Order: sequence, then structure tokens, then C-alpha cells
Amino acid sequence: MAVENLAFLIPLLPALAFVLTFFFGKKLPSGGAIIPIAAIATSFVLSLLITLRLLANPGEVVTQSYNWFAMFNIGILVDPLAAVMLTMVTFVSLLIHIYSLGYMSHDKAQSRYFAETAFFTASMLGLILSDNILQLFVCWELVGVCSYLLIGFWFHKPSAATAAKKAFLTTRIGDVMFLAGIVILFSDLFKIFNGAVPDGVYILRFDTIFVHIPEIAAINANIFGMEVSHITLITLLFFGGAVGKSGQFPLHVWLPDAMEGPTTVSALIHAATMVTAGVYLVARTFPMFMAAPSSLMIVAYLGAFTAIFAATMGIVMNDLKRVLAYSTISQLGYMMLGLGVGATIGAEAVGISLFHLVNHAFFKALLFLCAGSVIHAVGTHDMRQLGGVAKVMPITAATMLAASLALAGIGIPGTSIGTSGFFSKDAIIENAYLFGETTGSWIPYALSIAAALLTSLYIFRLLFMTFYGKPRTDYGGHESPASMTVPLSILALLALFFGGLTSKTFNTFVSDTFVNNFVNMDISALASLGGYQLAEHAGHEPMLILWMPLIVAVAGFLIAFLVYGLKIVNMDRLVSRNNPIYKLLYNRYYQNSIFTNFFSVKVIYEGFAFAGRAIDRGFDWIVSWFADLILETGESLRQFQTGAVQNYATVVIAGVSLLVILITVVMEVL
Amino acid sequence: MLNKTISFSLMQIITSVYGYLKPRILGMLVALLFLAVILVAVASTGWPSLDQLPQNLEDQSNIEGIGVLIFTDFVVPFEILSIVLLSTLMGAIYMAKGDDN
Amino acid sequence: MIPIVAYLALSAVIFSIGLYGLMTQRSGIRILMCVELMLNAANLNLVAFSSYNGDLTGQVFALFSIALAACEAAIGFAILMSIYRMKDTINLDTINILRW
Repeated sequence: MAVENLAFLIPLLPALAFVLTFFFGKKLPSGGAIIPIAAIATSFVLSLLITLRLLANPGEVVTQSYNWFAMFNIGILVDPLAAVMLTMVTFVSLLIHIYSLGYMSHDKAQSRYFAETAFFTASMLGLILSDNILQLFVCWELVGVCSYLLIGFWFHKPSAATAAKKAFLTTRIGDVMFLAGIVILFSDLFKIFNGAVPDGVYILRFDTIFVHIPEIAAINANIFGMEVSHITLITLLFFGGAVGKSGQFPLHVWLPDAMEGPTTVSALIHAATMVTAGVYLVARTFPMFMAAPSSLMIVAYLGAFTAIFAATMGIVMNDLKRVLAYSTISQLGYMMLGLGVGATIGAEAVGISLFHLVNHAFFKALLFLCAGSVIHAVGTHDMRQLGGVAKVMPITAATMLAASLALAGIGIPGTSIGTSGFFSKDAIIENAYLFGETTGSWIPYALSIAAALLTSLYIFRLLFMTFYGKPRTDYGGHESPASMTVPLSILALLALFFGGLTSKTFNTFVSDTFVNNFVNMDISALASLGGYQLAEHAGHEPMLILWMPLIVAVAGFLIAFLVYGLKIVNMDRLVSRNNPIYKLLYNRYYQNSIFTNFFSVKVIYEGFAFAGRAIDRGFDWIVSWFADLILETGESLRQFQTGAVQNYATVVIAGVSLLVILITVVMEVL
Repeated sequence: MLNKTISFSLMQIITSVYGYLKPRILGMLVALLFLAVILVAVASTGWPSLDQLPQNLEDQSNIEGIGVLIFTDFVVPFEILSIVLLSTLMGAIYMAKGDDN
Repeated sequence: MIPIVAYLALSAVIFSIGLYGLMTQRSGIRILMCVELMLNAANLNLVAFSSYNGDLTGQVFALFSIALAACEAAIGFAILMSIYRMKDTINLDTINILRW
């Protein structure tokens, strides 16, 4: 049986594993971990086979669709973009599950953990495979729910529960924007079809959307007096969803707090898979972005800004996992920047961004797993208490070094020698240079170079403070068991060699995602709709530009070595609380104070409380004013009853006379 | 001398009249208002014209007619009125006597 | 002939004089006397109408009214005596138990 007919099993097997582990996991040894591992291993084998088949026949993608209700469908689509993501997700998930066998061995709730990670993998695979945007949204929400469950895994800790809530609420803001984009898209397509959708054509399936892009681009909306094309509106709303899920500024605040969960959760979700869902969304709807004026520019600028913003905070953190969290945000910024330079290079942007995504998954998951190994052995997160761990845990130290070299992007330009990170990050930075040349805006390039310097700085700072030198405190530790070190070694090999081996094939493979038997889009034609100038990939940048990323990476390494390795400069003065810049960075630009304390508590919570009190008092006053009015009228009217008979007689006679006059006058008038 | 006496007594008269009227001004106004209403009502009604009264003095006596009316058409009210007078007499005497035996 | 309006006007004047007295006097006896005045004015009205319409019913009615006025005055005075016994005054301005 041809392997493509089994593609629907890829998300289904982990979902089945979730159900089985949830109900029967407690009775099996080690929390029933064997079920999800077997399921994900099978999914991995299937995705690998499908990818190899697609490599052989690039024009034939796998699609299957069934009618769900009305004009919507459920279906799967495996094209080059989806295939590489599938393989990466299943592979990393498999390695992390094997690692978790050792890491979570002391935990009591193991079955719940494995059930939730299996469910998460199933939803992520469903997201990647979906062939229409509604199904993507459903899986997107499921992934968010799993993230909430996993971050708050140790829910007895109040900080973990708060962090899970924060993550869910922040990504919710992005999800609302995403949903708004889908609604606008649906209404536009409905208008285009004039309500009569032909049989077999499904609204919101990607081929239908892409075919009608020029018509959607022609519809304009009037917002605050500006004429905005609908396609720009929709793509910016989709990007809003990606901002929430992928932790771009300003919705990045949940990622550092999400480190409250187990380290394997951080490795799985916040390094390799969930946060890349945002990048995947933008890549999947890339033709729409190409046709939308100024959307790609916004993506590029925001990505570059996030990269430098998070890197500045990463250099001052003292918690192992926090540094890695900010590193993730920074690298996601790079990926968004990679997509944003599609304004200059067209569909190739998808290729370079996905390449960085896959490489980043390998070395960031490796970094998190090494950190987890250290934490598991030593028991503390704080780097200031560590030092000289390399003597106690040599394998972990070696793999961590490999991952750091990959993250910093060490390699020799112009050749095939280098770590994976070197190839992917360099591609993005070079194309940012091209972007600057074509559009005249050098901000993305400058910010990405500065972020590269800071990246190298913080990762080598982490390395020197943790692994080298003398132990600062007495922590006692041991090397981790084989179930933990084997995945580390596999990931380290990939982090070092995957980039160099596959860079050219990967780029061409993924860049041709939109030319096959399902959709056939001429990206260059769409670029004219978006008003972008596409340049030919010259490849003739000056030598200085080619070598610049390496130069800044080595510079960062030297600075970290001098300061933290050899301790030439006394850092105590710089890191004291009196240094205003340090305080600014360490307090994460006071975002927590601004968002939570000021905005949520003071403005919204106390504002509503005050309004409620005022309304309450207002009603009270109205009611009592009314009662007082009646009382005073009664008080003044009762003066009439004097008790003296003569007064009564007077009033009677006066009344009678007046009545007669009144009636006479009225009769005269009428 | 006479002027002074006259003016002095005039002032006294005016003061006393004013002093008399001041607390009774409302009663005066209401009575006058009522009087005005009645007079205007009566004067603006067209009363039917009347025939000549008999000029003969003896014929102008109507006691006989009243007596006949009392004891034929109005005998019931007459008898009731007598009972009322009797009870009034008894009640008034009782109330005015007081607590002494 | 004297027009009937004269008799009616006279009756009205007497009635309003009695009314004025009723409204302004303090002493109970004076008030009762004013009530008598008003009754007499009404009787005058009755007789005037009876005379000018040739019907004797009005005069019979006036006779009955006079008798009833006598009863009412007797009872009034008896009540006034009881009040005097209780409050030791007949200044009706001060009898205001039903005030407010």
C-alpha cells in the first residue's frame, strides 16, 4: 500500500496513544511511556517515508478531503513545507519522550505527563497536516490547551498555575485576532462566490483561498479614514495570531514565565514545536502575504525588533532556563525576519525561514535538554551557584558546547564547513542585507547583526558560568543516565552536521511548496499586487558582509571568555543594582509592572470596582431623594389642618366660589 | 386747634379700623368673593316675568293656604318635625344639665 | 314691582355678612348667632321665590326651616356648654385637637 494513503495515521496514532495512556497509564511501568513512544516512532517513520517520496517526485503532493458540514471540509495536505515540519516534529518529540523516561522517573504523575505530551504531539501534527484554515485553527487552539496543561503540570505550585494562566490568556489575544482574520476571509470568499458555492469546492481550503487572492485584494475597507485592502487586514490579523503563539513583541511575556513547567516540556513546546506554529502559519499563507502591501514589511520589522529586544534581556538573566527562553524569543524573531525578507526574494523566504526553524529546533531542544540534565543532577536553576559542572558531567558539557556553537553560528563562509546554525542564520542575515539594498531600509540588517552579537554573548556567558571554572557552591552531582544522554548525543550530531549537509536541497525543496498539483501559484505575479520589488538573489555580496556574522559571533565569544572565563573585568560593579541600565534589563523593561500591576490591577480591576461603587451609590441617592421629596411635600401640606373650625369654613367657601368662577369661565371658553 | 383735633381723631379712627381689619383680611376677602359670585350669578339670570300681586289687602293673606298645605300635602314632614323638636328638647336639656343630679 | 333680583341680592348680602362673622369670630356664641343669620337669609330667599311664582310650597318650607333652625340652635348651645365645662373657655380658636 502506498505510503501516502497512510498519511492520516500520523496525527491519529498519537491521539490514540493519548487516550490509552490517560486511562491505562497508571497500571503500566513508568507511567505507560511505551505507548506514546511507539506511536510517535511510527509517525516518525511514516513522515520520513512520505518526505523521501516527495523528494523524489516534488510535484505530487498528498491530499485527501472529506466534507465536514456545509462548505467546510476536513482534510490533509502533505506538501514539502508540511513534510519537513512533520519529520522534525515527530523526530524531536520522539527523542524528548525517550529523554523524559529518565527525567520524569521520580515524578508521581508520569502517566498524566505522557498522556498530555502525546495529545500535544497529536494536535501539533494535526495543525501541520491540515489543508484548510479552519482545521488549522482548531488544532491551533488544541495546541494552546495542551500548552496550558503542560506548563501547569505541577499545579500545586501557585507560580506554575499563574504561569499557565498567563500563557493561555496571552496566546488567547493572538487567537482572537486569528479568528477575526478567518471570519473576514470567509465573508470575502462568500461574497466572491455570491453565496453559490459549487460542489466539491470547499471554502477556506487553501487552494480555494489562493486562487481568489487577487479578488480579495481588490476589496477595500475603510478604517479610521485609511483605505486598507482586505488582504492586508487579513494577513495582519493572521500575523497577530502568530505574534501570540510565537512570542513576538508585545505578546512575548508568557514565554519566560512558561519555564515553570518541567524542562522537557520547555524543550518540546517552547523550543521546537508550539512556538513554531506561528511561523508555520505565516509560511503556509505566504501567497496572501505576498499580495498584501506592507504586511511583509511589518513582519520583517517586528521580527528584527523582537530579536534584539529579547537578546538584550537574555544577557543579564541568572536563571539557566530564562536565558534559553529569551534566546527562543530572539530566534523566533529571526525566523519572522526570514519570512519578512520575502518582500525582496519572493518564495525563497519560506525556504530559508523553515531551514532556520528546523535547525533551531534541533539545537534549542538540545540546549533545553542539557539544561534539564544539569538541573536534574544538581537541583538548582541559578547559574550563580554553579560552575565547573563540566568535570562532573562531561557528556552534557560536550553536547552543550556543540549546541552553543550552533546557536552562535560558527562556521566558515563560502564553504560547506560549519554548524547548522551558521548556515541558517547566515542565510537570513545575508538576505536581510539584500533587503536593505533593495528597499533602502537598513534597520532589519543592523538589528539582526546586533542580535547576533548578543546571542553569542549570552550563550557563551551561560556556558562559562555553568560549565567551566571552579564550583561556586557545593552542589554535588552525577552524570545523567543513558536514557538522557543518548538523545543528547543524537541531537548534538544533528546540530553540528545537518545544516551543512542539506542546506541547498532543503531550500529548493521547500521554496517550491507552492508549485505542485494542489496549488499552482506564481509568487512573482503576486508580488506586483503587494507592491514589492523582487530582486534576483545576487549572491555577490561583498566579502565583508559574508564574514560579518562570523566576526560578531567570535567577538561575542571573546567578550564572554574574557569576562566570565578569565574574569578580567570585575562584573560586580556593572551588575550591581545601582546601574540603571542593568536594572532596566534585569527587570525586563518593567513589563511585568506595566502590564500586570498598572494596567490589569489599577486600570481595569480598580476602575470597574470604582464604577460599580459609584453606580450603587447613585441608585441609593436617587431612591432616598425621591423618598425625601414625598416626605417634605407631606410635611408642608399638613399645615392646612389647623384644627380650628373657622379655617375649615373659610376654605370651603373660598373653594366653592372659585369652583363656580372656574366652571363659568370654562363654559364661556368652550 | 380744631384741625389738630380732627386730624388726630381721624388718625385714631384709621388706625383702629386698620387694626381691626388686619387679622380679618382673609375672611373679608372670601366673604366678598362669595358675595360677588352670587350677585353676578343672580343678576345675569333671566328670571321669568311675574304676574301682578293682588292689590286687595285682605286677599294678600295666605295663612289659610299655608295651613291647608301643612295638613294635607306636607302632613308627614310636619309630624316628623314635631318628633324632632321633642327629641331636641330632651337632648339639649340633658346635655346642658351636666353632671349634677 | 320690585324686581326679584333685589330680594335675592338682599338675601345674598345678609348671607355673606353671616359668613364673614362665622369666619372671623372667636367666641362660640357669636358663631352660632352668625349661623342663625345665614339660615334666615336662606329663608328669605325661599319666601321671595315662593311669592314671585305664586306657589305656597316655598313658604311651608320656610316655616319648617325656621323650626329646624330653632332645634339646631338649642343643640348647638348645649354642646357649647359641654365644651365650656371641659375646657373652661369658649374661644374656638383654642379647640384644635384635630390639628395635623
